[in-house]
Amino acid sequence: MSTSSRQRILDRVRAATVAVASTQAGEAYAALARGYIRQGSLTREACVQRMVERLRGYDASVVETTPDQLLAAIRAQLEASGKRLFVAPQGLPAEWLIPGFDWKIDHGLTTAEIEAAEGVVTAAFCGVSDSGTIALHHGPAEGRRALTLLPDWHLCILRASQVVETLPEYFDRCPQPPALATYISGPSATADIEMTRIKGVHGPRFLQVILLRDESR
Amino acid sequence: MSDAEYGRVNLDPRFAPPFPEAALHELRNPQLRKNVAHAIDVIQGKRGKLVAEKTDWQALREAASEIRTHVLENLGEYLEQFEERCTAAGGVVHWAADAAEARSLILDLLRQENAKEVIKIKTMTSAEIQLNPFLEANGIRAYETDLAEIILQLGEGEPSHIVVPALHVNRSQVREIFARRMGLKNLSDDPQELTNAARTYLRQKFLSIPTAISGANSLIAETGSVAVVESEGNGRMCLTLPRTLITLAGIEKVIPRFQDLEVILQLLARSATGERMNPYTSLWTGVAPGDGPQKFHVVLLDNGRSSILAKPKERQTLKCIRCAACMNACPVYRQTGGHAYGSIYPGPIGAILTPQLMNMEHAQSLPFASSLCGACYEVCPVKINIPEVLIELRAQVVNQERKQAKRIFDPLYIGLRIASFLFASAGRFHAAQWLGRNFARLFTRQDGWMHSLPSVGAKWTQTRDLRGLPSQNFHEWWAQRGKESK
Repeated sequence: MSTSSRQRILDRVRAATVAVASTQAGEAYAALARGYIRQGSLTREACVQRMVERLRGYDASVVETTPDQLLAAIRAQLEASGKRLFVAPQGLPAEWLIPGFDWKIDHGLTTAEIEAAEGVVTAAFCGVSDSGTIALHHGPAEGRRALTLLPDWHLCILRASQVVETLPEYFDRCPQPPALATYISGPSATADIEMTRIKGVHGPRFLQVILLRDESR
Repeated sequence: MSDAEYGRVNLDPRFAPPFPEAALHELRNPQLRKNVAHAIDVIQGKRGKLVAEKTDWQALREAASEIRTHVLENLGEYLEQFEERCTAAGGVVHWAADAAEARSLILDLLRQENAKEVIKIKTMTSAEIQLNPFLEANGIRAYETDLAEIILQLGEGEPSHIVVPALHVNRSQVREIFARRMGLKNLSDDPQELTNAARTYLRQKFLSIPTAISGANSLIAETGSVAVVESEGNGRMCLTLPRTLITLAGIEKVIPRFQDLEVILQLLARSATGERMNPYTSLWTGVAPGDGPQKFHVVLLDNGRSSILAKPKERQTLKCIRCAACMNACPVYRQTGGHAYGSIYPGPIGAILTPQLMNMEHAQSLPFASSLCGACYEVCPVKINIPEVLIELRAQVVNQERKQAKRIFDPLYIGLRIASFLFASAGRFHAAQWLGRNFARLFTRQDGWMHSLPSVGAKWTQTRDLRGLPSQNFHEWWAQRGKESK
């Protein structure tokens, strides 16, 4: 049944577009207008500052730190959270797993185990300052998708060198399209009741970002 | 199973009253009008500010418009490419020619999973094919997980907007629904508390129901990936935790490449909710080992889309990315809300999409539910010329109607036939003008205005006055002037 529907739909689509379809879709695609801004115009410093502003605008908390202060910054965030049980992706740098807290490393944790955790610590792939967006490609240090979804508290360590200004710059940084990606712009939110923005529906209610100043200013 | 077997559904264009009749009913509900106007004003205010800060907004619109047009013109090629890449990544692609086929396909897939329950992320396409009542009739309980959709599902209401479906419901109405259906007697009407109630209500369902249904914002031909845009995280739950995921998408949802998201995503959230970016966007490709559902199905739905594709002027309807900016900008929608349209696709885009999906056999009043002011075209992020399509569809409706026997004695069509006869010759036209002027004089009062007209004319004078006609028209004045100057 499905096979015949497939043929029927494709035949109808082809018949409908016979007068307008390109003989070389690839060439026609390459000729499409792309007059929008690709490269941002801010200085590196202003670009990183905008990222911080935008994240705070979404009600995420942001602290800035330097590479030598990173571990102290992570510890301070963990302590301030008042939580004890954390999950971490298996590729997270081992020194980030601050002693004194309960860590569950994701070597195939069950959903229930992730749900039981109070928080999660991950790295990121990229930050887009124009919209305050953090892109996760779910690599070894970013964790699989459920990891940054179920715990109520997400501590994300974003390097300044990962921050770009515009969304197209992020796409330029992708060596190839990711198989999995999640773009996070602030904590989970809804405006479904009278257009009042309410933080925290199903995703983490707390998004904490440590902005690691790994570039010379 | 035929559509009739599980009963009528509200917002079904086949049974909905004509727009003017339905609108009158909505207009008499002051609470609804207040709720809708409030929500619209908030979204519009935010959108305006964020669009203004984007200096390349028009270039983004142009790019999006060209990408969407290009996809539609080469849809066959891109659909096949999507199918091939998605299949290679472990997805299973199904094709559904119409709503009935899509429903039974999805039911079969759910039965293979022995599913008694299914969690759903908001999808207009599933509402289009009336999936929930069909599953219900077949013993499968569908849980909506978007906050607005929960409000409607528990309150047994209908969506009135495609992005904020419950914008016609205010907080005290939400409180009443949640208190009654969730058994929470002490619930207040604080939105934070209401949102928490929804979180608690759904948490266990997310963790325990192993089958989910989603829609799609984009299908990426280059990679076979699917992108879903959302705010709450209910989408991520449905896309990540279950064992099996079924995605239902219209065939027009394809974009050529991953990189095209750089255009769509910059436009979508700003247009839809007045945010720089929505809180969560998810992208996945077939099945990822160890991460997310290990069985993934995509159902590609035609349901009238290929017929729209065949018509050069109407084709642009399919460029739509479902942002709802047109309904937020529409002066008609602002007054009536969405229910008056009798379709799950209300507002200007609904007014052109609905009758076409119905093959112009239903919802013929919708193309007239517009003042043709053009606000919808101006805000549309993919530059759909909605007024142009509205006018085209109006012409088609009139052409249908005038062939009907019952229209022979319809005063409107009698009037139009007379007008057609009069306008065909200058002599007849002048004579008619002379007659009309003298006729109008009978009703013109001392102050130069007509305050009440008989018969059909009363439809005008019931609510406003009509200025009396001058004793001379331009043509006569010009002719006379020529004589005087000689």
